[in-house]
Amino acid sequence: MREVMRLSIPLAVVAIVSAALLTGVHNVTEPVIREREQQEYLEALERFFPALDDFETEEINGDQFDLVYDQDGEKLGVMAAVQTQGYEGTITYNLAVDAEAEIIGILVVSHSETPGIGDVITTDNFQEQFIGKSFEDPLEAGEDVDTVSGATISTEAMIGSIRRTVTTIGENFLGKERQAFGLEDLTDGVYRGSVEGTYGDLVVEVEFRDGRIQAIEVIEQNETEAYFMEVYPEIPEKIIEEQELAVDVQSGATLSAERIVAAVRNALEGAPEGEGGDN
Amino acid sequence: MSAPNPYLDDLSKGIIKENPVFRMLLGMCPVLGVTGYFINGLGMGLAATAVLIASNVVIAALKNFIPPQVRIPCFIVVIATFVTIIEMVLQAFQPVLYEALGVFVPLIVVNCVILGRAEAFASKKPVLRALVDGVGVGLGFTLALGILALVREVAGQGTIMGPDPESAILLFGQGFQPMGLFGQPPGAFIALGLLLGLTNVIFKKFNI
Repeated sequence: MREVMRLSIPLAVVAIVSAALLTGVHNVTEPVIREREQQEYLEALERFFPALDDFETEEINGDQFDLVYDQDGEKLGVMAAVQTQGYEGTITYNLAVDAEAEIIGILVVSHSETPGIGDVITTDNFQEQFIGKSFEDPLEAGEDVDTVSGATISTEAMIGSIRRTVTTIGENFLGKERQAFGLEDLTDGVYRGSVEGTYGDLVVEVEFRDGRIQAIEVIEQNETEAYFMEVYPEIPEKIIEEQELAVDVQSGATLSAERIVAAVRNALEGAPEGEGGDN
Repeated sequence: MSAPNPYLDDLSKGIIKENPVFRMLLGMCPVLGVTGYFINGLGMGLAATAVLIASNVVIAALKNFIPPQVRIPCFIVVIATFVTIIEMVLQAFQPVLYEALGVFVPLIVVNCVILGRAEAFASKKPVLRALVDGVGVGLGFTLALGILALVREVAGQGTIMGPDPESAILLFGQGFQPMGLFGQPPGAFIALGLLLGLTNVIFKKFNI
């Protein structure tokens, strides 16, 4: 017992003194850190919205949204502080959109993407392609914005996150609505559509009959196995159940889920390949 | 010619004879990880030096109080405390450097240079000599990181004093296409290997 005390008391003393010291330093540095972060955020706000007079903070799904108003109480736009999963860790960035849901600025606050490769997301070259795009634009890799080859995962993560953020802002704060995909005018048949994925195409076959989507089958896919299993057959079932393409894709595998939806959309936008059979 | 003054000897051996990077090959993780830019290498070296000096002094002062059976946990607690302090201070007052060093700041805790000096030197020597030893080894570590980072930045980026575009000096003009490899981790191994060969040749020549 004596021996135990002789050994543990010095260790305990060292630990207690250390803890006290750390608490002291923490109390000194914490306010400085907090204040600087806030300062940086405010500076970004003022840069994107020069006429800024007041703002109001809201939170949706853990992301912070600041509604910006000018002197007359007119809404100037929204700035979002968003976190998304990149290639090597969390990417935190600010996205500013104006009152028309048009992107006016992107500022990557912190990231841990590969230096020299994934960190292209911080460059003007990559970010400029988003400026001026709005809620109405597809904001889809390969359509109106481009990934950077060699950094496909990092850039695709940014594109997807920006699209979702613009949608969230548009729908929640700016009174925008996504136009529902019109199923009424479709003729019966089997539609085939594809989208480009990270590792290859994703091809679906959609059977449309009696004014309803009857079946969705993924013919070909090169998604990461674990991710794909999370969204298939769940996402096709959701689409069939709700009879619309604007299903909730928030999951652990958002990119794969979005790709399935995009492929179904691509299919239904084309012409049917043949009469829908019973199988 | 050997210096009769033990303090001078302690100081110089950390820088040259027992340089932690070029001679002892200790603490390789930050050496390879943060030396993409000169500023970052220097910052890392100075941060490690600060921790090393502080932990050396405290451990030398506590050497009679800490029972030998629990010395390693005590050393680790002391080192971790100083590292956390440095981390918080950097985050508060040097945010750019803090961002650049990233995970390597908390990893100073397991930098074997620091625990190595605590175990091999500070826990057996008087406070003042431990202090001088900390300064010497710290400077040696900083020097090595600085040299390696300078080589890597010049070869891999074509600049010095980057990555901040305001202070960065383009050595070879705008059109220069640098060897990106040296900016990447594999380039760190190659550059370190070349530097080790070079220092070995120099050491041999001057019979150090």
